[in-house]
Amino acid sequence: MSYTIRQALREAAFIVATGSALGLVYTGVTGQGIFGVHGSVQAGNTPSEEYAPEFVELEEAVGFFKSGDALFLDARHEFDYDLGHIAGALNLPLKEFEEKKSLLSSLPKDKLIVTYCDGQECNSSLELGLKLSAAGFSNVKVFFGGWRDWESQNNPAERTVQ
Amino acid sequence: MKKLLSNDYLILILRVVLGCVFIVASIEKAANPASFTVSIDNYKLLPHAVAAVIATVLPWIELLCGLALVFGVRTGGGALLSSMMLGVFTIAVVSALLRGLDISCGCFTQDPNVGKVGWLKVGENLLLILASIFLLFSTGVRFSIERHLSSRSSAT
Repeated sequence: MSYTIRQALREAAFIVATGSALGLVYTGVTGQGIFGVHGSVQAGNTPSEEYAPEFVELEEAVGFFKSGDALFLDARHEFDYDLGHIAGALNLPLKEFEEKKSLLSSLPKDKLIVTYCDGQECNSSLELGLKLSAAGFSNVKVFFGGWRDWESQNNPAERTVQ
Repeated sequence: MKKLLSNDYLILILRVVLGCVFIVASIEKAANPASFTVSIDNYKLLPHAVAAVIATVLPWIELLCGLALVFGVRTGGGALLSSMMLGVFTIAVVSALLRGLDISCGCFTQDPNVGKVGWLKVGENLLLILASIFLLFSTGVRFSIERHLSSRSSAT
């Protein structure tokens, strides 16, 4: 191996080590990444395994919808909710969880709740699911395909603004 | 070719461009590892726990790599690392395209409506890989901080 490559490998290893250390320190201090809720759920670090909500695919979500037993919770911003949402879904934006969680106070704790957000790229459905589980709801599902999956198959939807 | 490899201006331009690409790409991901984890998960290549670890450390490695290139400190290491990272990213993007995944790249921003993966991204990455390999073997150090530091310390 030439000197150039060996030198470069040593330097690259230094950058990787320093970068990893910075990343771990930053996420450790801010409680994100592997130290945050999203990373720890799957790693099994939650206080109790039963608190991790189950992921459901579109077919199952449609099944729950048709059965009429499920309450759909839209974790997106109110603006997106108004533009279109799963028929009958309530809007509970993740950021307003604390203010709006009283909406759910009348629900039985074993009520089937399905959370969703925009689609695969957002994780507020999962975070809302975790908050609900932590609040004592025992039958929470996360529909990770979200609004985009739902809309793509022309499933029943409503909009608030015309 | 040897002349090109020691052209200080070309080296400076490539270093700054490549370095800035990495710095810009790293900031949003470093600030929000949770959504970067989701972006990695979307590629459906790695277990979630591995994706979470990568999302925790990779943006910071990218940031340091970008800074190293821009300032010309440990340029060889930065160039080697950037070619390796870009190689892996390109394989991931190609595999996503071949599997027909309609996902956002997660390259620069975590906004799902921007930057869908596509063959343009593959071409862009290949160009950046070429630039990285060029920098790895380049010999000009005129505009690097490292050179100025070493010349100062050897003068004293």
